[in-house]
Amino acid sequence: MNVLKVGMISFAHMHAASYFHHLNSREDVEIVGIADENQERVRPFTEPHGIAYYSTAEELLKQPVDAVVICSENSRHAELTKLSARAKKHVMCEKPLGLSEEEMLEMIEVCRAEGVQLMTAFPCRFLPPVMKAKEAIDRGDIGEIIAMKGYNRGTMPSGWFIDPELSGGGAVLDHTVHVLDLMNYFTGSTAEEVYAHAGTLFHDVDIDDAGMVHVRFKNGVFAVHDPSWSRPSSYPTWGDVMLEIIGTKGVLNIDSFSQKNNVYSNKANKAQWSYWGDDMDEGLVNNFVTSLLQGKPVAVTGEDGYMSARVALAAYESARTGAPVKLTSR
Amino acid sequence: MKLSIIGAGTMGTTCARNAAKLANVQAAGVCDLIKERAERCAELCGTTAYTDIDEMIAKEQPEVAVVCLPTYLHKNAVLKLAEHGIHVICEKPIAMNEDDAREMQEACVKHGVRFFIGHVVRFFPNYRDALARVRRGEIGEPGIAHLKRYSAYPTGYDGWYRDQGKSGGVIVDLMIHDIDFARALFGEVKSVYASINRSESMDYAQVTMEFTNGRIANLTGYWGYPGPFTTQYEIAGDQGIIQFDSNDVRSLDVKLQKQGTEAGASVPVPSSPANHDPYYYELKHFLECITTGSEPIVTAEDARKALAVALAAEQSAKLRKPVELEVAP
Repeated sequence: MNVLKVGMISFAHMHAASYFHHLNSREDVEIVGIADENQERVRPFTEPHGIAYYSTAEELLKQPVDAVVICSENSRHAELTKLSARAKKHVMCEKPLGLSEEEMLEMIEVCRAEGVQLMTAFPCRFLPPVMKAKEAIDRGDIGEIIAMKGYNRGTMPSGWFIDPELSGGGAVLDHTVHVLDLMNYFTGSTAEEVYAHAGTLFHDVDIDDAGMVHVRFKNGVFAVHDPSWSRPSSYPTWGDVMLEIIGTKGVLNIDSFSQKNNVYSNKANKAQWSYWGDDMDEGLVNNFVTSLLQGKPVAVTGEDGYMSARVALAAYESARTGAPVKLTSR
Repeated sequence: MKLSIIGAGTMGTTCARNAAKLANVQAAGVCDLIKERAERCAELCGTTAYTDIDEMIAKEQPEVAVVCLPTYLHKNAVLKLAEHGIHVICEKPIAMNEDDAREMQEACVKHGVRFFIGHVVRFFPNYRDALARVRRGEIGEPGIAHLKRYSAYPTGYDGWYRDQGKSGGVIVDLMIHDIDFARALFGEVKSVYASINRSESMDYAQVTMEFTNGRIANLTGYWGYPGPFTTQYEIAGDQGIIQFDSNDVRSLDVKLQKQGTEAGASVPVPSSPANHDPYYYELKHFLECITTGSEPIVTAEDARKALAVALAAEQSAKLRKPVELEVAP
């Protein structure tokens, strides 16, 4: 059997644990090693599974590895992606792809020049309601898309996520990119103009935890999105990914995590929503692996990552200047 | 208190039903250009139907009149009533533009009559509960609100809603409820940004209000929605969240077996029955304000400011830029 040899670079982002699980459960994947400057963080993954540990990405990249999964702090995505691409490894990079237009375009260019694929980790594409919505929209069930309203609200993360040096931004960067990617995907268009608010309204932190992002797309569709870290600890779940799409012939609503049980337990002392729907990370990992094994293009590319992250970057500029920001055509 | 109703459409009819329920109210004429409509409405509250407003005022000598006319007719009716020394309760939106609104406010002050605008959402028990809890600090310091109001395209007499020059469109007529409520929640508005899509079949708008205290509200309004009339809101604060979705309220839900071969003969609509509708509480409150001389929970000034925000939103959508509001002195 054809086996994909995968290395994992950094577990700074907790999604690495889920990607590890899905990679490790595939027969056609061999996890060759994990590189992380913090050995304690990855020991629960390396030791029980007999997987090699490397303290640097460079060491890991010297191994016979076909592809890498990068879950570092946002600020290191560009450096690690380019390093991996130059070692001829395919890359799946955690979102947001990068922290500036220039570095993202360079990541894409280096991967292209080295002949490796670059996938942006947008698992929401693999949610069954999202996939069904895409089919419905492409069939023309709701006619032409006119407008959209998105929500990706969450509880506030901790650690490097709220350190601008390492994260590059707060809620607006962290929680705009997923839904913007879905908006790009559904409209088949990309953003042309962004007007946004960004601020700190919910927590005592030195980074944005609240925002409202208005987007105009090249094809005339307009949209608004709330990326705030506005879920309190009493909220029954971590957050949401919701999208309402207004079409000329109907309205389509996606509530990604509404496949849930309502749980009332004295042990939690608050209501809880227990999601029982399909795991989107599994779909993402499967697409990465099978695409590479079959030599097909991955479903979510570096360009996709760039097209959504640049909206978040423009949102910060708009929030600073108080004016709409036009995106240069690419 | 002798009360006249001007305009016997949907709102006038609602007012007539509620006037009949209020013990201290004596219905004193219903006026509408369409005689049959005026008669039907007058019957609901046991009074006389008129097609001429001057005749009604002369014969009935009302102390208060409720103006339930299309928006573009508010100004003339209110000015006339004020001149006759009659207190005015007028449907929202207050007027088509701010100058008219100010003129109406000034005329009422000049003639010593009270002037109320029916921003009825303030009297909906769910909105009242949410506002009270926010004001009690239950969600801590509020940060972001989402407010949504979707309905079918309203018809009205002669299709006046579809004429933007008469109704103002979905922001000025429908979303203004949520603009007013957002102001009640968060305070004065600093700037507004809006996007609108208008066509034969729909009028849809997204509006973001930025408040002077940094809080943000995003409102969506839709005429032409294919689903049931829907209102939703979420108010998020640093200590909690309040959410509401009208589609979740099904305190009474009846499902009927199909009768014989008549497929889909009945459309089951879940409902939220109550002792009184919010218009009843609104009318009762405004009449109490007249009797006691107290301030209403929503003033004509609030109504004018909500209109200013709505018009600024229209302007923003045209200019594709945020529009700053005049900060109140």
